[in-house]
Amino acid sequence: MANKHYAMVIDLNTCVGCNACMAACAIENQTPVWKNEWRTYVHDTEIGDRDDQVRRRFFPRLCNHCDNPACMTVCPTGATHKLDNGIVLVNDERCMGCRACAMACPYDARYDVTYADIEEGTNFYGSLQRKHPSVDKCSFCAHLVAKGEKPACVKTCVGSARLFGDLNNPNDEVAKIVASGVAKSLLPHVGTRGNVYYISDLERTS
Amino acid sequence: MEDMFYQPQIIWTWWIATYLFLGGLGAAAVIISCASNIYIKEHKELVLWGNLSAFAMLSIGSLVLFIHLLDHIAVIHVLNPLGLLTSPESWIMWGTQFILWMMISSMIYTLPYMQESTFWRKIPIIGMILGKFGWLGRLSLKFHKLIGWLAIITAAGTVLYTGLLLQSFPSVALWNNPSVPLLFTASAFSTALAFLLIVLYVFINREEDHALRTFYERTDVILIAVELLIVFLFFQYTTYGQESARASAAILWDDMGWLVGFIGFGLIVPFLIEFRGVTKGWNNAVPIVLAAIMVLCGGYLLRHYFLLAGVYERPYPAVNIIHHSEAEQVKLDDLTLS
Ligand code: SF4
Ligand code: SF4
Repeated sequence: MANKHYAMVIDLNTCVGCNACMAACAIENQTPVWKNEWRTYVHDTEIGDRDDQVRRRFFPRLCNHCDNPACMTVCPTGATHKLDNGIVLVNDERCMGCRACAMACPYDARYDVTYADIEEGTNFYGSLQRKHPSVDKCSFCAHLVAKGEKPACVKTCVGSARLFGDLNNPNDEVAKIVASGVAKSLLPHVGTRGNVYYISDLERTS
Repeated sequence: MEDMFYQPQIIWTWWIATYLFLGGLGAAAVIISCASNIYIKEHKELVLWGNLSAFAMLSIGSLVLFIHLLDHIAVIHVLNPLGLLTSPESWIMWGTQFILWMMISSMIYTLPYMQESTFWRKIPIIGMILGKFGWLGRLSLKFHKLIGWLAIITAAGTVLYTGLLLQSFPSVALWNNPSVPLLFTASAFSTALAFLLIVLYVFINREEDHALRTFYERTDVILIAVELLIVFLFFQYTTYGQESARASAAILWDDMGWLVGFIGFGLIVPFLIEFRGVTKGWNNAVPIVLAAIMVLCGGYLLRHYFLLAGVYERPYPAVNIIHHSEAEQVKLDDLTLS
């Protein structure tokens, strides 16, 4: 059987900016929210500069689990690695925290977890799964995906703005949307080939 | 989809600039002093000064980097040469190995000269260590040229690495182009020549080195000219290039530290002083030593400003690396997680 190729589709038409995904992710993955660092974040933006045409847009973002991950190419320790299913992970035991991955990532997906954060996190979350510092990022909740579940942000999304699926399965909803061309990945010219696709809220058909 | 955001990075700052500066300078000093000793004339003092200073520079540069790592124990993975098999695409992996083997081979190359020198033998602990490694000194002399070449090759890798590191970050137009390693390489050799000229004029100061000093000055003039040419290419590339490059241009070409500090006093003024030195000559060493000091300061400024002006193009403002705008901060304060 062919490997899976996980991807996410985010529909900007249905994101209501409730930030439930940020909260669900933070709790699932114990991220250092006390210093405003997130695996996924929802930008609250305004588009347009005429008073009668200004639109409010919520723009969720996360690691794009690139097919050609610049963060992995530069990583000297092998901490950043890619699973056969396309998910890009960071092994915190190998990571030395040089931050080359943060410099290489075009999507600002990385953040520091220091020894101080581990201490703070233990107080904040009661107990902490990680023991080592690293330059961390979204894991597409690989631990949940391995059990056949969806990532925490997808499970919690009230607007069903986030869909998660397998691009190698032609019957998968995500694969169909991506194949239709209606959802596009970010910064295609950089060559990292992200696997997070966005359905724009600005396209006019008539 | 629509608006892009252009923001400089604040992750790698002065500490990486220091690492890249000392790394390039030290490695090029090893190449020049070993190659001069092998092919121009035997010059033990030059090797001692060049290679031992390089060792100190690389140690300081690596220490500055090491201090800033998040997990100091995990550094073992890059010190292990087998890592080249598992991370062959990573320039930090290659760079660490080049630096490590360059430091080892250049020290072995220098060892017999230290053992010959009464100055080094008289220093308490060092003298004892030198005595214990007599066998290594003899072995080094037996294969001296080969070890010298090993030091030169690994040092060349180190010089190139300092530029290739920045080139490997794809979303910054200022960095992701092949002129960066060229500029950093020219600058590394120019700063190393400047350093060795200071050594030859101030510390060694022998009349018989006149020809060597003139050769170094001539080469440095050419290298500074090459740097000026590449800087001009960067002016064109950033001013009329893609948006991220233009954002870098807005930082660089509006900053007195870059314009007057690096281009003015780091390149043009030393170029003129050294050019006059090789055409008409100076009565004393002061102008050349001053020019060399300016070249060294310029070498640091180049790396400092290159890191400072690296602008990322993103479809949203950075959150994790550059902290939130005030508006977003208010929103985050509203978000109750705890
Ligand atoms: S989005 Fe950034 S961190 Fe995630 S895989 Fe791509 S390059 Fe790496
Ligand atoms: S910070 Fe860690 S994951 Fe990132 S490049 Fe360095 S070693 Fe790799």
